[in-house]
Amino acid sequence: MQIAAPLQAVIDELSKFPGIGSKTARRLALYLLKRDISEIESLIGAISDLKHKLGFCTKCFNLSESELCVICANPSRDNTILCVVEDITDVISIEKSSEFNGVYHVLGGVLSPLNGVTQDDLKIKELSERVMRGGIYEVILALNPDTEGETTSLYLARLYKDLGIKITRLAKGLPVGGNIEFADEATVGKAVKGRLPY
Amino acid sequence: MFLKWIKFENFRIYDSATIEFSDGLNFIVGGNGQGKTSVLESIYMYCTTKSFRTSSDSELVRFNCDSYSFDGQILDTVNHNLRIFYSLNEGKKTYFKDSKPVHRATEIIGKFPVVLLTPDDHSITAGYSLERRKFVDSVISQSSEMYLKHLLDYNKTLRQRADLLSKIRETGSRELIDQLDAWTEKLVQTGVELISYRRKFINELDPFIKKSYSLISNKKEAPSIYYKTISDDQTDLSRFFLAKLNSLQKAEIAKGANLAGPHKDDFVFFINGKELKTYGSQGQHKTFQVSLRFAQFFYLKEKLGKNPFFLLDDVFGELDTERSVAISDFLREIGQAFITLTDFSNFKFLKRSENDRLISVDKGSFCYG
Ligand SMILES: [Zn+2]
Repeated sequence: MQIAAPLQAVIDELSKFPGIGSKTARRLALYLLKRDISEIESLIGAISDLKHKLGFCTKCFNLSESELCVICANPSRDNTILCVVEDITDVISIEKSSEFNGVYHVLGGVLSPLNGVTQDDLKIKELSERVMRGGIYEVILALNPDTEGETTSLYLARLYKDLGIKITRLAKGLPVGGNIEFADEATVGKAVKGRLPY
Repeated sequence: MFLKWIKFENFRIYDSATIEFSDGLNFIVGGNGQGKTSVLESIYMYCTTKSFRTSSDSELVRFNCDSYSFDGQILDTVNHNLRIFYSLNEGKKTYFKDSKPVHRATEIIGKFPVVLLTPDDHSITAGYSLERRKFVDSVISQSSEMYLKHLLDYNKTLRQRADLLSKIRETGSRELIDQLDAWTEKLVQTGVELISYRRKFINELDPFIKKSYSLISNKKEAPSIYYKTISDDQTDLSRFFLAKLNSLQKAEIAKGANLAGPHKDDFVFFINGKELKTYGSQGQHKTFQVSLRFAQFFYLKEKLGKNPFFLLDDVFGELDTERSVAISDFLREIGQAFITLTDFSNFKFLKRSENDRLISVDKGSFCYG
């Protein structure tokens, strides 16, 4: 079977997406082919803006359109409570639960010798600077409760244990070995509310 | 629990074949290579998602075919339709419970408890400590999902920590040494959990082992198990474990390996206070192996409130008549069991009741009689 090169190119690009197999990619490509050119251009524009207009917040490393993200720039957020998460998706999950009014720090991963991820690959130095600067009452370690997430929490808890700051972790409302991303909003909300001292 | 039937498609030697079971004893009789152990294998896979004979699913596909499947029905409190499907092209096995795909083995393990007795059990009493840990882990995992999760967590920690230790050896990096403390703390936390589960398990298994042993052997022999772990002292285990790891740190870095923890545990078997491995006769080994499996049965039954499936693969051939009769009489009281035999005529001593079923297997087809 031969497929026109421009169509094949789109199929190949779409097949790289997580959760998209070659069959789905073909269906999506044919769907795109049938759309109006204005719709396609608007989609291309939106995707391109993702990269061009969005960057990272210089303070918390959340996604942001400007130097500070909407959360860091919001004066009504409580700057004394810092919630440390693994990834941007975790910020979205916790924000959706509406149980948290503090600010975040996105580590960008967890410690994993097997994957070659060390402290230097994570925003730990930046976190320490924020913590040492003072004015923080509580650090919540909201990393995924899997092996690497828990070890990274242990690492951070050791790092800040003598600073007189309250260090908490999420309550075990979360399934062991589970991802915050996959937990429903009610579970995440409960876990944030019922957090425990480390 | 009652496994009613299984329908094979291109599984092992089976082209397309359906086998129907009795809720009592099912004697599956056939020569070598006719497919009788594959029946036990499929039941075991329903209960654990994995085969006990191979870790490679492609081996289970019938010659010249590109997929295998087997459908079956288990009556628990309600009927469950189970299906396992493997595609050679995708290299992927999918387990369906009531038409819905199961994503994690932890969703299945323990739901349909199973006990398997095979000649390979010899390695539990005579082999390396690894075999005994495998036995203990598999039993506790079936009765506690929490334990299974701790175990997976611990094994992951071991792999990460070993990798870190060898990287420290190679680079001597300060940053990596700094990270080691966190992995050590994680290893201690999870390790102590495993140890406390295992200790409790061995204590709870003890009366079942003694009961099973006395049912099988009429000799005045008392079996016991000693759990050998990092310390007999339970009160300050975390501190002790941590201190041990700290004292071993140089050696661990030099070897790039985890040198202490429950992954080094052993379970020492005794009969009348004498170590089985050193002083036991062949008969005592065999009796102990069978007792372990019956004890596992009683333990799971008590923990889960249901009778596990009992699978016996080619076991009677190795036992003397007296023990065989004791076992078969006993099996009759415990629910559904699946027993493979090479030749039924050699087992006249097995009293058969109306509820038993004799299933002959010949080149991948079944006949009842
Ligand atoms: Zn921010």
